[in-house]
Amino acid sequence: MATAGIGLRAPHLAEIERTRPATAFLELHAENYLGGAPALGAVERLRRDYVLSIHAVGLSLGSADRLDEAHLGRVAALVDRLQPAHVSDHLAWSVTGGRYFNDLLPLPYTEESLDVVAANIQRLQDALRRPVAVENPSCYLAFSHSTMSEPEFLDALARRTGCGLLLDVNNVAVTAHNLRLDPAAWLDGLRPETISQYHLAGHAVNDADGEPILIDDHGSRVKDTVWSLFAETLRRFGPRPTLMEWDTDIPDLTVLLDEAARAESVIAGVLREAGREARAA
Amino acid sequence: MKLALRDLQAAFAAHILGEGDDRLADSVMSDSIDAAARLRVYRHHVFHSLASALASTFASVQGLVGEDFFRTMAHAYAARTPPAQPVLTEYGAAFPSFVADYQVARGLPYLADVARLDWALNVALQAPRGAILGIAELQAIPVEQLPAQRLSLTAGHALIASPYPIDRIWAAAQPGASPDAVDLDTGPVQLLVLRREGDAAFVALAPGEASFLAALAEGSTLEEAAARGLGTGPDFDLSASFARFLGLGVFAASHHKSPEQKV
Repeated sequence: MATAGIGLRAPHLAEIERTRPATAFLELHAENYLGGAPALGAVERLRRDYVLSIHAVGLSLGSADRLDEAHLGRVAALVDRLQPAHVSDHLAWSVTGGRYFNDLLPLPYTEESLDVVAANIQRLQDALRRPVAVENPSCYLAFSHSTMSEPEFLDALARRTGCGLLLDVNNVAVTAHNLRLDPAAWLDGLRPETISQYHLAGHAVNDADGEPILIDDHGSRVKDTVWSLFAETLRRFGPRPTLMEWDTDIPDLTVLLDEAARAESVIAGVLREAGREARAA
Repeated sequence: MKLALRDLQAAFAAHILGEGDDRLADSVMSDSIDAAARLRVYRHHVFHSLASALASTFASVQGLVGEDFFRTMAHAYAARTPPAQPVLTEYGAAFPSFVADYQVARGLPYLADVARLDWALNVALQAPRGAILGIAELQAIPVEQLPAQRLSLTAGHALIASPYPIDRIWAAAQPGASPDAVDLDTGPVQLLVLRREGDAAFVALAPGEASFLAALAEGSTLEEAAARGLGTGPDFDLSASFARFLGLGVFAASHHKSPEQKV
């Protein structure tokens, strides 16, 4: 039985409708299905055969301006219509002063930010009448006035709002490299009971003034360092619904399914290893 | 200096848009990669992703001018008019008029009209697919009431006029199109853009047809609209054009307003 899902992307929609590949779930970006385009009809048909996850990218949970109620209403209507198993967005912001930047912009991790994000998550959960999961972002900078680490901040959000954490393992690797952090120490800051999902994707290595900087472009197979970190994550927290994402230079569906199968084999390997250790003990 | 979150976000936005705000400099940590280089990653991604969204919506414009030209133009538009909300298929309403004023593109006078056509197709595609007025529903209307009917066009429709043959220019800009030259002097075109079952498409209209549909779209009765169509000249054949529009699914079902329904 499939234990890993794939991100549903427009170029694959017709093929998935036609061939119905085995996958644990399909995750779609909320903002791509808020109009009346034919793709929404296709997803409504797929809904009968697949578990769905709705991943929003534009709610801007980190906005000091609070949530855009009009957009929230549209996302809530989509969630109501598709009844997904999971709903999530990111620990980031993308809206200020009525302008939307289509990026997951970074937050300072302060008490003030915690109040803002927690209030926005609560508003979202109230509107959807269900808990959501919040994903750790890929970071390219840190603010000097942060008073908490990112895992401390995420854990505090889970405590305050009851939200789950969507642990993007690639983002942990990207952030840790770019901000000179130890990814294992980063994982130490989370409690297993708060983690509801994993994400995996590829990243690019770019040059920033002669220094390598990792870019979360979702444009390649998962890097070996991320597979290792995923295995480490599984040993600490156990398996969760796991999603394979690909957004840039989207390959054939078979490649995406192959990456998801690899995630499943990593999960199975860690479970076997844990079983052996339990028997030996 | 510690910025309040709202101020930090405003400063970040200003930095991305190149509005010369340097309040962030003290707030972002630097090491072997300095703060400016780190901020540049975000600025680059914002413009790259917005230009990609515009390239998806205005694919024919990009097909005509090439990716490099398009990205430069899209970047300039995004810097002036960033999205107001997160649904990117709804971003770009003002792009056609931006293209019309874009000096670098003034050698391509039809480009803004092609952008209007791309936008109209995008809007039509996102429109809900409502029920279409069929023959049976039409036949249920007593003949003597027909002239006073006001028919609604289906959601997402658009009427587009251009002094250039933008239908053929648009077709030539599609991937895999044969690179035949389009004669720009073949006269004006009037196009009807429609949401269809699985896509959006456009058809060319004769002048009388365009006037007829424009009148209906403005809320005129069939009789008034027919007079507008006939006013364009003797070539307008009301019954032939009406049959064509029924076949295309131009009219929305159940939205016709008979005089009795008007209160």
